[in-house]
Amino acid sequence: MHPDHYRHTELPPSTEYELYFGPNHPGIEGNYALKARLAGDTVVALEADGGYLHRGFEKLMEQRLWIQNIALVPRICVPDPVPMEETYARAVETLGGLEVPERAQWLRMLVLEMSRLTAHLFYFGGHAATVGLYTNMFWGVSDRDRLLDCFEQLTGARVYHMYITPGGVRRDTPPGFLDSLSEVLDYVEGRLPKFDDLFFDNAVLVRRATGTGTMDQAFAIDYGVTGPNLRATGLAHDLRRDYPYLKYAEVEFDVITETAGDAYARTLVRRGEVIESLRILRQVIDKLRSVPGPIRCPLPNPLAWRIPAGDAYTRTESSKGELAYYIVSDGSAKPWRVHVRGPSQMHAVQTLEALCVGARIEDVAQIMFSLDACPPEVDR
Amino acid sequence: MSGSLFRPLKALGTLFEAPITLPMAPRPAAERYRGFHLNDHNKCIGCGTCSRICDNAAIRMVHDPELRADPVKGIRAERPAIDYGRCCWCALCVDACPTGSLSLSREYIHISENLDTFFFVPDEQGMHGFGFEHGWDKGDDNDLLAHQRQPMAEVGTEERLGDMREIVLGFDPQAALVEASRCIQCGLCHDACPTHMHAPEYIRAVWEGDFDEAVRQIYRTMPFGSVCGRVCTHRCESACSLHHRGDPIAIRWLKRYALDQLSPERVGQIASEGRTREKSGRRIAIIGSGPAGLTTAYDLAREGHTVVVYEAQTEPGGMMRYGIPEYRLPRDKLDQDIDIIRAQGVEIRTGIRVGEQVTLEGLATEYDAVVVAIGLHQGRSTRIPGSDHPAVMRAVDLLRTVWSGADFEVPRSATVIGGGNVAMDAARTLARLQRRCFGEVQVHLCALEAEEGMLADREEIHEAREEGIRINPSRGPRRCMVEEGQLTGLETVACLSIFDDTGRFHPRYDEEDARTHPAELIVEAVGQMADIALLPKSIVEQLEWERGRLKVDNDGATALPWLWAAGDMVEGPDVVHAVAAGHRVASSIHRSLQNNRGLTT
Amino acid sequence: MSKSLPTPLEGVFRRVPGVRWRQQAERHLRVELSEAENLPALLALLKGEAGYRHLSAISCVDWPDADEFELVYHLDSYTTQVLISAHIRLPAAPGRYVSVSGLYRPAGFFERDIHEMFGVQFEGALDLRPFILTEWGGPPPMRKSFDTEGYVRDHYQWVDYGPEWLAELEKRGGGIVE
Repeated sequence: MHPDHYRHTELPPSTEYELYFGPNHPGIEGNYALKARLAGDTVVALEADGGYLHRGFEKLMEQRLWIQNIALVPRICVPDPVPMEETYARAVETLGGLEVPERAQWLRMLVLEMSRLTAHLFYFGGHAATVGLYTNMFWGVSDRDRLLDCFEQLTGARVYHMYITPGGVRRDTPPGFLDSLSEVLDYVEGRLPKFDDLFFDNAVLVRRATGTGTMDQAFAIDYGVTGPNLRATGLAHDLRRDYPYLKYAEVEFDVITETAGDAYARTLVRRGEVIESLRILRQVIDKLRSVPGPIRCPLPNPLAWRIPAGDAYTRTESSKGELAYYIVSDGSAKPWRVHVRGPSQMHAVQTLEALCVGARIEDVAQIMFSLDACPPEVDR
Repeated sequence: MSGSLFRPLKALGTLFEAPITLPMAPRPAAERYRGFHLNDHNKCIGCGTCSRICDNAAIRMVHDPELRADPVKGIRAERPAIDYGRCCWCALCVDACPTGSLSLSREYIHISENLDTFFFVPDEQGMHGFGFEHGWDKGDDNDLLAHQRQPMAEVGTEERLGDMREIVLGFDPQAALVEASRCIQCGLCHDACPTHMHAPEYIRAVWEGDFDEAVRQIYRTMPFGSVCGRVCTHRCESACSLHHRGDPIAIRWLKRYALDQLSPERVGQIASEGRTREKSGRRIAIIGSGPAGLTTAYDLAREGHTVVVYEAQTEPGGMMRYGIPEYRLPRDKLDQDIDIIRAQGVEIRTGIRVGEQVTLEGLATEYDAVVVAIGLHQGRSTRIPGSDHPAVMRAVDLLRTVWSGADFEVPRSATVIGGGNVAMDAARTLARLQRRCFGEVQVHLCALEAEEGMLADREEIHEAREEGIRINPSRGPRRCMVEEGQLTGLETVACLSIFDDTGRFHPRYDEEDARTHPAELIVEAVGQMADIALLPKSIVEQLEWERGRLKVDNDGATALPWLWAAGDMVEGPDVVHAVAAGHRVASSIHRSLQNNRGLTT
Repeated sequence: MSKSLPTPLEGVFRRVPGVRWRQQAERHLRVELSEAENLPALLALLKGEAGYRHLSAISCVDWPDADEFELVYHLDSYTTQVLISAHIRLPAAPGRYVSVSGLYRPAGFFERDIHEMFGVQFEGALDLRPFILTEWGGPPPMRKSFDTEGYVRDHYQWVDYGPEWLAELEKRGGGIVE
């Protein structure tokens, strides 16, 4: 039985066919589409198709006051919103010659590393799901939730914190916050061996991720790959260490590298970075117990902010790599131009398209996830 | 590397761990959660700052006629309504709220198929009336407004006592910029100002460094910007929304700053913009060249009418010239304002007293309309024993004598009766004269009111003390002491209370507590009245009077169709009120002339 | 200032005509080229001789008053670790430039994006097909001349709320303050 409007079509015989991945594929982080050309179950060519999450942030930011944009920027990358706030704020501060008080700098590092933790936990869950390990996905997401509780206590919101503002941060830590955060950090650290058992040492992951989506260092540099993906090819480059901002020069941490450059190496780098983030966070918490306020430099009322004319390019090491904002001011109350350079713009288009060629169809989602490619960052 | 097939099975161990169970009851959000809005309507003044800072245009102000509105106190009958289709819970509205009335609650769940429920006016009960606790509210650390006023430089006490130089030095560019940047553009000042000056607009222009635009905005309603920028009673600042948690914007000083930035020629050019060049052929006579008379003249001349102002004194300006001390208002600034008014085509005939050289009836036949704006130049007396002594003066007479440059013998000691700004003016003027003649100050001031109740501005009292004036609050004058024809002092008794239970003026004294204040000169500063000698009896009878004051309608029109009145004689002493009245009278006359009404016969 | 300039850069800058540079921030050089066509040569030298293998981004700025587009090439070196932002200006009409994707593959993404958002043509680009605005028929939206609010007004209908409390308030003479 066929429906009335069904017409059988004769197609020319072919060994290749096209498959449209997304834009609501569960294996894809956010709404994004991939047009895959397949021969059997092997990808012959792949073309990324973005725009499903385009909200015109760059244009919108030109129409809002300098301070109003703090409500927009975290939305550009849902899983790791804090670096967006930091990079925007630092660009405005560079233009305006604003000095961020010391305590505010430590508070910003606190939320930045908390955000990296949440992003990496989310990533573990997501990567696990692309290879069918759903228990691990739930673990990743529920452990991330404990950090979101901390965000809620500190910033009043779980995901879009809008906590960092040009000149500092919006509020100081509430009573008891540093203790409860420390407890959550201990909990997360205690969970790592369990993640090892279930995920990192799991034969399913190791066999499927090893040799999948492999790139060497020359390829990575050539394609503008940054962050953990770059470090997974053996290059120890990290903006926190190489172009230190805030107080990163004053804390101890290691830049984690792997050499294999495949999906598994990328996941191992992130596992290592969770440990480093915990290390940084504990040093920051110690500092915050003694460094006094204020938490914001003096500013005129927010309706009357004017930022001197000029331009600034500021960069932050987000959980995904090199995040940069290019901001131009014409001296008025609103930005003249804001250009957001998200690391995923490099990872989710040309790199992904190249890495998927020759891969099997069931690994396409894994490759995308192992690059931690964030579509909203591409679309803006 | 191949990984382990068995280690993942360890996860089965979680089967023996206690499950995480979340209760069905609503989860209380964190203490500073940014949930639905709360608004304390008793604190909210309807300034609309929340709606201006909102980055999503999610806040719209709604007018509720049942709410209390009080422009003088800076309260509008408006409250914010939140559109949860647009709100992103950034809480900038809370951080920018000047009163702290707005906060966000710990409630965050709203489910409805009815779109209209997503738009509501928050109160203290919250979105569903559950009375959820406050979440994100106004703390000390998240206030985004700058609450501290920029300090104003002043001449030191020692230097300023030596002469009549202006005390207030004015803002420097940086201070003016910072002060202007504090303004949140709510416009409550505009509502409170008697002449509804466009203060938010000119403050914004100062902030933008566009002084042409600032002066243009000032001249929309104020031809005495340089004067009001110095001596205005600044109701705008009392209404300023920033006063709830800090210092109000120094609106008056910013006005002065804007005008001081441009040359008088440039100010004149801007003031002349939009002036009608065609002559209407109508003629208006204005009696009195104070702020009310000259504002009326300015407006009417700009409409193309021929305006002649009659002034009894030798120079124009009225109380601004003969009442306000020069150390508060330099005369070149007054002259600048008046020159610009003249440049609109206003003719000022000085030294002509109506009732002597010309008569009101005469003016009535010569002109299409006549405005009486003669101010309050006759001082009231305490009528205590000895107050008829020649060395007992009224404050207005003293000030007029001094500021007109007439001969005046400076007394070695003087006592001023009164606790208002005029009393301060008299005392501080005498102090300067004494300092110049004798090198020391011996001035007493006796006010009926207790210190807190004194009518003078706080800074006047403070500065008078700095200048060595002995201020004696709660003293009632008893008699002027005269020995061998010479005035020697003022005797006062303690004043216990001023008003009786029904609120009528009925002071009670402690006669036991008497004191003597040395005085070669006693100055009475206990009120003024209009000198209506110029009005012929026939006209006085045709006009309506109320407690000695001429009764006029809202537009300043009297019972006679060709006669208007404006200024202090109608409203009491205040420059900005006089300016406001001048505008109303001018527009009323202009309308009447256009309608061919109100003509003299 | 020239003391702080890493050695290879000194020579590179001298060899390209019309290069002006200054320190913009710590370890961040701002380079302006008076002639836009010299940029590829500068990039080639930077990549070949100064280790600038990373093109961080290309930013485009619309300057309608000058009828120009500004292109900013942000480059980084994993060895010298001094960020360089190289600025050029193009006449808005015809708004054409050459692609540098042969030198830096990431330029492929940025040029495609700038073409889509600003309408700048890049000769020799890898791919200038629409990526984000696939179904868009309007003008390049990041140009200052594109009016977002006007577009919304013309293309979408505003749905207003009509809650009961508002109707009651309007009956009493109140309502939304416009």
